[in-house]
Formats: sequence, structure tokens, C-alpha cells
Amino acid sequence: MSATARRLGAGLEAVTDPVTAIVLERPAGRGWLFAFVAAVVLTALLGSGIWVLLVRGVGIWGIDIPVAWGFAITDYVWWIGIGMAGTFISAALYLTRQSWRNSLNRYAEAMTVFAVSVSGLFPVLHLGRPWFFYWLAPYPNRMGLWPQWRSSLLWDFFAITAYLLVSILYFYVGLLPDLATLRDRARTRGRQVFYGLLALGWRGEARHWQRFETLSLVLAALAVPLVFSVHSMVALDFSEGLLPGWHTTLFPPFFVAGALFSGFAMVLVLGIPLRQHYRLQAFITEAHLDKLARLLLAVGLLVDYSYLCEVFFAFYGGDRYEIALTLNRLGGAYAWVFWTTIACNVLAIQLLWLPRVRANHAALFTIALLVVIGMWFERFMLIVTSLYRSFLPSSWGMFYPTLWDLGFLVGSIGLFFLLFLLFVRLLPAVSMFELRRGVSEGAERRS
Amino acid sequence: MPPLSPTRSAAVEEIRRELAGKHGAAFWRSLEELLEQPQGLQRLRQAVPQVAALDPVLDRRSFLGLLGASLALGGLAGCSGPPPEQIVPWVRSPPGLRASEPELYATTLQIGAEVIGVLVQTYEGRPTKIEGNPAHPASLGSTDAMTQAAVLELWDPDRSQAPVQHGSVASWDDFQAQAAASARQFAHDGRGLHVLSGRIESPSLAAQREALLHRYPGARWHQYEAIDDDNAREGALLAFGSPLRVRHRFDRAAVIVSLEADFLGSMPGHVRAARDFAAKRRPAGSPATMSRLYVVEATMSLTGTNADHRWPLRATDISALAHALATRLGVVLPSDSPGSAQNGTDHRDATRLQALVGDLQDHRGASLVIAGETQPPLVHALAILMNQILGNIGTTVEYFESPEPREGSAASLRALSESMAAGEVDTLWILDGNPVYSAPADLHFAARLASVRHTVHVGLFRDETAARCAWHLPRSHSLESWSDLRTYDGTASIVQPVISPLYDVRSLHEILALLLGSSPTDGRSIVRATWSGRLGLHDEQAWESVLREGVIRDSAPAALGARAELRALPPDIRTRAQGSLDLLFRPDPTVWDGRYANNGWLQELPKVVSQLTWGNAAWLSPALATRQSLANGDVIELRSQGRSLQAPVWIVPGQADETVVVSLGYGRTVLGHVGERLGYDANRVRSASAPWQAQCTMAPTGHHLELVTTQRHHVMQAEVPVRTGTLAQFRANPAFMQADSSTPPSLYPQRPAGEYRWGMSIDLNSCIGCGACTLACQAENNIPVVGAEEVARGRELHWIRVDRYFQGTPARPHVHHQPVPCMHCEHAPCELVCPVGATVHDSEGLNVQVYNRCIGTRFCSNNCPYKVRRFNFLQYADLRSPTLAARRNPEVSVRNRGVMEKCTYCIQRIEVAHIEADRGMRRIGDGEVVTACQAACPAKAITFGDTADPAAAVSREKASSRNYLLLEDLNTRPQTSYLGSLRNPHPELQDDT
Repeated sequence: MSATARRLGAGLEAVTDPVTAIVLERPAGRGWLFAFVAAVVLTALLGSGIWVLLVRGVGIWGIDIPVAWGFAITDYVWWIGIGMAGTFISAALYLTRQSWRNSLNRYAEAMTVFAVSVSGLFPVLHLGRPWFFYWLAPYPNRMGLWPQWRSSLLWDFFAITAYLLVSILYFYVGLLPDLATLRDRARTRGRQVFYGLLALGWRGEARHWQRFETLSLVLAALAVPLVFSVHSMVALDFSEGLLPGWHTTLFPPFFVAGALFSGFAMVLVLGIPLRQHYRLQAFITEAHLDKLARLLLAVGLLVDYSYLCEVFFAFYGGDRYEIALTLNRLGGAYAWVFWTTIACNVLAIQLLWLPRVRANHAALFTIALLVVIGMWFERFMLIVTSLYRSFLPSSWGMFYPTLWDLGFLVGSIGLFFLLFLLFVRLLPAVSMFELRRGVSEGAERRS
Repeated sequence: MPPLSPTRSAAVEEIRRELAGKHGAAFWRSLEELLEQPQGLQRLRQAVPQVAALDPVLDRRSFLGLLGASLALGGLAGCSGPPPEQIVPWVRSPPGLRASEPELYATTLQIGAEVIGVLVQTYEGRPTKIEGNPAHPASLGSTDAMTQAAVLELWDPDRSQAPVQHGSVASWDDFQAQAAASARQFAHDGRGLHVLSGRIESPSLAAQREALLHRYPGARWHQYEAIDDDNAREGALLAFGSPLRVRHRFDRAAVIVSLEADFLGSMPGHVRAARDFAAKRRPAGSPATMSRLYVVEATMSLTGTNADHRWPLRATDISALAHALATRLGVVLPSDSPGSAQNGTDHRDATRLQALVGDLQDHRGASLVIAGETQPPLVHALAILMNQILGNIGTTVEYFESPEPREGSAASLRALSESMAAGEVDTLWILDGNPVYSAPADLHFAARLASVRHTVHVGLFRDETAARCAWHLPRSHSLESWSDLRTYDGTASIVQPVISPLYDVRSLHEILALLLGSSPTDGRSIVRATWSGRLGLHDEQAWESVLREGVIRDSAPAALGARAELRALPPDIRTRAQGSLDLLFRPDPTVWDGRYANNGWLQELPKVVSQLTWGNAAWLSPALATRQSLANGDVIELRSQGRSLQAPVWIVPGQADETVVVSLGYGRTVLGHVGERLGYDANRVRSASAPWQAQCTMAPTGHHLELVTTQRHHVMQAEVPVRTGTLAQFRANPAFMQADSSTPPSLYPQRPAGEYRWGMSIDLNSCIGCGACTLACQAENNIPVVGAEEVARGRELHWIRVDRYFQGTPARPHVHHQPVPCMHCEHAPCELVCPVGATVHDSEGLNVQVYNRCIGTRFCSNNCPYKVRRFNFLQYADLRSPTLAARRNPEVSVRNRGVMEKCTYCIQRIEVAHIEADRGMRRIGDGEVVTACQAACPAKAITFGDTADPAAAVSREKASSRNYLLLEDLNTRPQTSYLGSLRNPHPELQDDT
């Protein structure tokens, strides 16, 4: 074995060993167990909430007429937005050959799959009769009834379904080589069978690799437009309505930017503790965090620009309802929601201009967390403040959340983290084969 | 079920032991053996009094059947398997009864102070809906909200179902024994026997009263209504020397001055008044004319909201104003009159008075001065004199003698209370009333009632009074019994049952007959006997025609040509202490004096002006509330004459300063599931001597209550929803309201493809804002009651709501009412967004909601600019109470949770018209489809029909120059349109507007 090859072998092991160790060797640890129990409790809360919801109806929430959409739709848009960054990082950066993404894409994709799954619960649960949600699907039936094609809710249903399927496929296909690694390294019979079944007989043949590359490329090419379509469709759920505050052409790009924004923030919120806890500093480096922070700032500025546009166009358009709505947002009963949004999504991120802040993990984590929270408030603002005062003053109302509203929000966070914690312990959190390829390509370049 | 008495449960227990383990045929045999035993029937009587009472009426087999069923219900090992008798299904229905089609019966209802002729719609014998009787003078086909709700009262599961003695269920036989004992006791002259009834509107009841007083000369008969017309009667006594009753002719009045008279809202005859008043409000002729209404009042009434000029004035100052007005009109008054000193009239008041006098004098014989019941007799007398000098008597106002004996409520109840205190009352029969709750506090009625030896209460519910009487007898509902009633103008009509009693109950007349031991004993014969003179005892044809028509023609007493004159003025007892506030009492617009408190429909109907539901509040003027730093819902303590009351504040624009208004009818403690423990009981600070006005002081308590309202915002942002103007503007340019309206262009089809195009027009100039439409819709369309908590959350289900807007300053606002049903937009925003096509457009322009298809995304509601869609957030429809199910309209589906619903333009009625027209191979005629809201509307503000027919009434309405579309610029193209409202202010009083 030549020296180069030995060095390369050591380099490859430096990738594989720590990553597989998290799954195969390290004990669960107190931190993980604590987080796991907390997540299970919150998930149980969500489960009991769903039970009560199915038995009693959506009236357990605070929604009313005129505010017929509340927390459920806010949660839905929030979660699906969070999901976006994973696909963007793994697919868009893959297509543009940004190889630094390799250490981020795995957990970001997992985040996408889990966030989209969690978000998918809400549009179903928010229905008055959730057990009939499948009526949205265009299936032949004896009544000869089809969905109503002009409704954006229908297309949203298709968009989410397609997005979820492609995300899961892309995530799973990308896992195959690493699953094979885990299979090969597993020492117990159970794990060998588990990972062996998941690895679908991957042997690392050239033929495998060739098909794998083609499929990855195709899926990535599919996923990127889906990212944009799903968030545009979510936006159309609102802008199809004629309500001031919803009825605007700005919404689709605005929602895409908002989704990227919250997604990048969530990648940071998950990544910083992850690398800390599992000592992945070698993979998720300072440079990665810095790049993510810059991306967060860039997308944040785009979102802020949209806020500005919304206010500007209300007055520029001169429509009295739009103006009244804008003034209401800025100074009405829910003004605190608006200003919280501004504080989180506009002011907080300005700190990211400073390299010092970007290098400070605690500050970065805090800012990212604020953005995640701020984006929730932004969605709440967009939905509730547009609804609570519509055209006729006689039907103005308010929205007061109930404990179940909060329960579903907290419970959905619990479910997300439950899935994510299981992912960390069961699957490689970092894409080993891509990093190994990086190592060998680097070695080749050096030799 | 009431609890069983000890003796009764012992009897049940004993029978249970004997029948234990016996099933099927053995059970029935044992039952029969039990009957054979000596004392068997006696024991059964104890156990099941209701059934045992039927013994002589039924044949043996039916009796056994009923008995078995009752014992089974009482917890005995009951029937298993089918009964041994052969049962036969109803294969062929009796002639004349078609199961699917409703039948209408004419009858009469006493609702609050109103007596109104109605048509009751029944399906297979079940009353489901009440419509007005077009032949009846108080109705002319319309009703008010309380009348609509009477059908729910009939089916109320909380109604009293059996006689009760000392808290345990008894039988009518037991009571008969008691009545016989009474009869023996009072055989001599009846001293010690007192009867308390409500106001006697029924000739039969009057006759029974005569009979009773004839038989027991020493007995006393009292009448009490918490809301009565004592002041009007005394006013007539002052002016005419005789307590004449008054009837107004609003259709002849061009100028109306109301001195706190709520003739559109609470006075007897208000449904008819609304019709006549609204007719004069339609601008007619060239140049266009309409009537002018001046209202002087201390607090906003329904009538006040419809005024052209409304002057808030402290209630205590109104008599002075009446005095000044009368003097200027030339009424000669005794010189020592107290109101003559016109202190503190500023320049503005003088101008107003001047204009008012001029206006009245310009309309001699076509003007009308009305005094409200809440004003003292002097004001009523002055109103009579003013009408006389203006030549209005005989044209716009008539006086007639009441055929039934009337007594002043306050004096009558005080006399009873004093007799009770003096120990003179041995036996008290309370015939349908709830004085323990509704008597003014200073009479200590409840405490004094305890000293009466024998007490009998007759009523629909086991209420506060029932709980304190030895006997409670359940009265049959008006829809279950025979009676007769005389309405506001004296016209009499028959009350006929439309269903046999649901429970073991009897009518007031039957109970009185029982008490008197007189015959006939059944309600029908009693009522027929009353009218034997007029209709003949055996003239079936005359009798039937009266029943069919629902009114006895020409039974109204003739107007009298009496001359009024005021010899001496009564001393003005109303003095105002320094620093105290006026405390005014008002009937509640929906639960009246509390008698409808258990009616969910009425509880949930937003109250006129305040839009509150499920409770009452103390009304404060905005200025007073600001001075005391009080907000809506803050609880204050009111002290008056040593008594106090805690009530939450509700700020009402347009109320006179220094005035607190409380409403009666709440704070019920013993009633039923719906009405208990809501609001406060204003009777606790009311006194019999001054039932309408008192002085009080007010102090904040620091507590806060969340009041339940359906409308939280009352200020129009720009004049978008309601278009208004003055008659002068209208004369100058009839189309001035349409100046800036235009429907934007669209590429979609302009009109539906079908033969008809249904549309509605709502004339805001006619609409008085009473809310009858809301309730009629609720009854017709099986709209559930959601309860206070859900209304507080903004989840009420009314398909047509009446929006209320205040314009102008808080001290003197103009009020606008706007009924808002579904607009049935031609380009409906709701249809676009439903993902499953649960709301679709039909070929006749209707926006149809398909409940079966709805999955409840609620996007349609979000996207509805009119917010008329209603959602079943929870399971609101009560699927468990059988009586409520029996009330429902079988033509309309009951919606379950998770489904959106909204106004359908009463599509079931459209379909009936379609079927009829198809049968006759013809087009549906104009006026053939009448929606429930339209039918009920007392003001006839709603017109519905086929707008594709240019000759249809609705098309003619829509062609009016006042026609406009709500939020037209959104390009939704509604089929419901509005006619803008006009006011007709006095040209010299422009600063008022």
C-alpha cells in the first residue's frame, strides 16, 4: 500500500468512524434520553389532542367566524416552510455543484422529511370532517364527483403530496451507500438485518454508482422545482382569496423566500447542538456555519423587502381596505404580533452582518431560533390579521387561542423532535459517502 | 322527572317486588292479577298516579298497556319482546292528512303584551313553525321574534309535565279532592280566597272570573303583569274620567311624536304598528313624501332607532316637555300645573319645540302624539289632550272601552300583598304567573306567600313560584289548548289547539272549571259557551268559519266619541335628589319579563340596540361611563331605596346622561336547563309604586364580566354598508345614492342559465331592526342554538343577522339596521375556493351549499366578504332530545358538526313552488315563493322573487333609484340588493342631523 493510499485510507476512516460510531457504538447518553422522553411526552400530547379533536370537532380550537383559520393553518405553513431548506440545500446546491453542502445535506433532508410530514397533519386535522380528506383526491367514484379544480386548496393538496413523496425518495436514495456502510460495520445480527434490508443490496459496484448518480440527478432536478411550486401553492391558498392582506401577487415569491428563511434558520438551530453534542466539528465546520449565516441574512433581506413591498403597495394602490388592513396590522389589536415579527425577522438578523456574530455559536443559535419563532408569528399575522377585520365592520371579530391550540403547536414540535432524535440514533447524520468522495478527490488533487 | 315522594316510591317498590322476575306474558298476567286484588288499584294509584287517573276513560286493555309502560319507565322489570296484542301499522292515512305536506291552523297567541293571530304549520300533527295570520288585525301575516319562538316553548323539554304536591308528583285526582275541599270550605261566601292571574285578555277567562266572584262573593281576584299599562289607563282616567283603551292608526299619521313610546318594539299592537309605520316611510308621490317621526326618550328604544329626530332627555324631564308642547299647542291646563316652570330650556330646545309645534299644527288630523307606558299618567293625559286639539281623535287615534275587566297591576298586587301580610289570605290560586320572581321587591311577595295556608300555582314551568306553592299544576301550552283572546284593537279570536297535550296538563280554563267544580269542564265547551251568544251554540258553520279564519269579525268595540278634559293635574311625585341617577326599568326585548327565559332561540337572538345575547346589562350613556371610567362588562352596584343590585355595564350611545337602564327578565333561579342563572334580577330594586323610574346611586365593584354580544363594532368606516340620505336629497335627485356605484366588468357569464333568477331586495327604509327575520329563519331552517360560550367565541349560527350601525356622535347617534342574509353572489367568491365543490352555483342563480359534500375547510367563509357563512365547529344540533327533533322542519336537513351552512333563500320553499308549478304545467307565479324572513317581517322590508321577470315585485323593487349592492366594487354581483334608507328631518332642524 502506497503512502498516498494509506493516507487516503486514514482520511476515509476519519469520516466513517465517527459517523458510524454515533449510530453503532455510542450509548444513547443522558442528553439524548432526556430529549427523547420530552419529545415522547409532547407527542403524546399531540396524540391526545388529535383524539379529542376527532371526538369533539375543531371547535376545541379558538377559531370562529370571521377567523376561521387559526393555529392549525399557521402551524402548517410554518412547518412546510421549515422543510424547504433541506431540499434546497441538498438538491439545488447539488445541481450547482456546491460540494460544501455535503456535510449538511443529510440532516437537512431528514429535517425536510419530518417537517413536511408534521405539516401534512394540519391540513387534514383542520378539516371539519377530517375523515373525508381523501375527497380532495381525484378518484373515480359512483357519484361521478370530482374535486373543484379552480380551488388552490386542491392544488396545494397535490403539491404537498408530490413534495412529500419526492423528499422521502430523495432522502432514501441518498442514504443507500451509507446504509450499506452501516450494514457492513454492524456487529449484531439484528442491526445487520435491519440495515441490510434498508440498503437494498447495495454493494458499491460501478453499475450501482452509475445508476445512483443518474437517479440522484433526476430526483434533484425534480425536487428543486417542487420546492418552488409547493410554496407558491401554499401562497396561492391565500392570494386566491379576495381578502385584503391575502389577495396579492407578491405572495408566491414572498412565501418561497419566507420558507427558505425559516428553513435555513432551522438548519442552524438543529446543526449547532448536533455538531456540539456529537463532536462533528470536523464535518460541520465554522465555514459551514458562516455560509449558512450569510444565506440566512441574504434570504432574510429578501423577506424584509417583501414586508416593505406589502406596506408600500397598500398605500400605493390606494385601496381603502388594503390601507385599513395595513394600519390595523401596524397598530391594531394584533400589532404586537407584527412588531414581534419585525423584531425577529428584520432587526435580529442585521447582527449577522458582523463576522464576529457569525462566528459566535451561541449568538448564531439565538438569532436562528428567533427567526424560527418570528416566522411562526409572521404566518399567524398574515392569517389572523387579514381575517379578523374584513369588509363589514359588523362582522369584525377576534381570535383567542385555546389551550388545545397551543397543545397542537407544542405537540407538533414534540413529534418533529421525536422523529429527528430517532434519525440521529438510527441513521448516519452526515453523508459519509459524499464526504469520503471529497476526501479522495482532495487526495487525488494533491497527488 | 321529578323525584318520587316517599309514599310513592314505597308503592313502586312493593309492586316491583311482586312483579320481579316476570317477563313477557307473565308480566302482563301478574299486572292483571294485581288489578284483581283488593286495594290493587289503590296501590297502583299511589305508584303511577298519572295513568291511574285515566282509568275510567280507557278500556281495560289500553289501560293495562299504559300501566305496564309506566311501570317499566318507573324502573320495573318491564316488557321484553313485542306485546301480545296484534299491532297494525298505519297503512292508509286518514282522509285529508298527507304525510309529506304541512297543514296550517289559525289560532291566537298571547306573547308578552301582544295578542297576535297566527297560522301554525304542522307536519303530521307536529307544530313546527308559526306564521302570521293575514286576517288578524294585529298580524296582517307578520309576526315578531317572540311569536316565532312560541313553537319552541311548546316543545321545551323542561316544561312541567305533571301536577306536583309539595315537591312530589301527584295526580289530577288528588288535586280534584283538594279542590272539592276548597269548595266546601268557601261554600259560605269565599272570604279568604284570592286568585291572582295575569292581565285578562280572554273573554272566557273574564266570564269564569265573573262566575267565580258570583259564586264566592267574598273572594278577591287580582291581576298582575310585571309589564302592564297602568299609566295609560290612569292617564285615560284623568282625561276622560274612564279607563279607555287606545288604538293608533299609524297608516294615517304623517307626523308622529313619541314621548318614550316604543310603539314599534314593545307596545301592544307593535307588529301591526310596524306594518303601518313602514308603509308611510316609503317615499311616494311627486314630490315624494314620507312620514316624520320625533322621538323623545331617555334610552334608545327600537322606535328611537327609527326616528327622524331623536332627542335624548332624562325620563323625569319628559313630562315638562309634554307640558310645554301641550301649552304651545293650545291645550288649556289648570294653572297650578307643575311642569309649567320651564327651567333650563336653552335656545336649541326652544327652536325644536317651535318646529315641533309647527309641524304638528300643519298636520291636523294626520298627526299623532303617543305617550309611552313608562311615562306617568299625566303625560298620557296630555297626549290625549294634544291629540284632541290637533283633531287626531277619530283619525289617527281612537279610544274604546275595554270589554274585559282591567285592574292596575301595581295596585292589584299591592292589595294582595297587604292582604297576605294581614293574614287575610287563606287560599291563593296563582293562575299562570310567576309573582315570586316578578313582583317588585318592596311587596315582599315571597316572604308573605309563605304565610298563606293553601297555595296553588298553575304554569308552564316549575318556576320560582311553583317551588313555593303547595300545589303546582302544569298548564297546557297555548298551542295545546282552547281559549279566546282579544287583541290590541279589541278584536277577538279563538285559540284552538293544534296538537293534543304532550303531557298530563290542562288549560287554564279547565283548571278553573275544576276549581269551581262547574261544568262544562273541557276547554272547547267552555270557550264555545262564552261565544254562544254571538256564534250560537249549535251553529257549526259559524264556529268552523271563525276557527278557519282565526278571527271573529267585527268583534272590536266601537270607538267612542268621548271628550277629554283635564280638570286638575295630579301632583308630580317624581322628585330628583341631588347627585342621584335616574334608574329606568325596561322589558327585555327577547325574554320579556322573564317568561321566555328558558327559550334558547330568544336567549340567543341579539337584543335590539345592544346586540347582547344570553344576559342583561345595566345601560349607561357614553358620557356617564367615561366620567366613571367604566367599560363594557365592568360590574357596578346600583343602590335604590335601600336595596342594591350588581350588574355589568353596557355603554349605549344616545342614552340620556345621568341615566341607568336595567332590564327585567333575567336572574331566574328556578326554571330549566336554558334560562337559569343568567344575568341579574332587576326586580330586586323595583318598587310597585314606581315600576319604571326610580332614583339610584352607582358604585363600581372592581369586578368584570364578559358580556356576550354578536356584534362588537358598530361604527361604519365610511358609508359603505348602509347608504343613507334625506328626503330632501331624494327629491332633488332620486338616484343620489347610486352616484358612485358601478359593477366592474367580468368575463364570466352575467346571469344564470336557468328559467328563473331568484333575488331578494331589502328596503332599509322600511326595516325597523326588530330581528323577527332572524328568528323566523332559525325556526324554518332548523338552526341550532349554540349557547352563550359559543356566541362569545363568535360562533352563532344565524343565517340572517341584523347589523346595527351608529353614525354621528355617541351622545346623539343615528342608528341604521341592516339585515344581512347570504347575498347569493352570481360570481361567488366562496364557490371558487372550495376544493371539493361543496358550494356550487345552480342554474337559477342560487349559491347552494351541499352539506353531504362539505369537508369543512372553511375557506369559503374566509373568502366571503359578507361573512354570512356559518360553521358547525362542534356538534350543535341536539340529536338527543326527542321533543326538539319533533319540532324540526322535515323539509330541511339537520347539519352535523364540521359542516358549513348558510342562508339558502329557503330553497325548500322554492322547490315546493317548483313542484306545484310543474304539476300545473305553468311558470312559478310572482309571490308564490315567500322566504321565512320575508313572511315574518312586520315592516315588509324584504321582497323575494324571480328577477328574470321584470313585472315581479322584486324586480320593481330593484328598479328603484335607491337600489344598491353591498360591496359592489368587489364584483361579486349579489342577487340580494338593498334599498337605501332615507330620513325625513324637519327642514328647520338641520343641526340635528
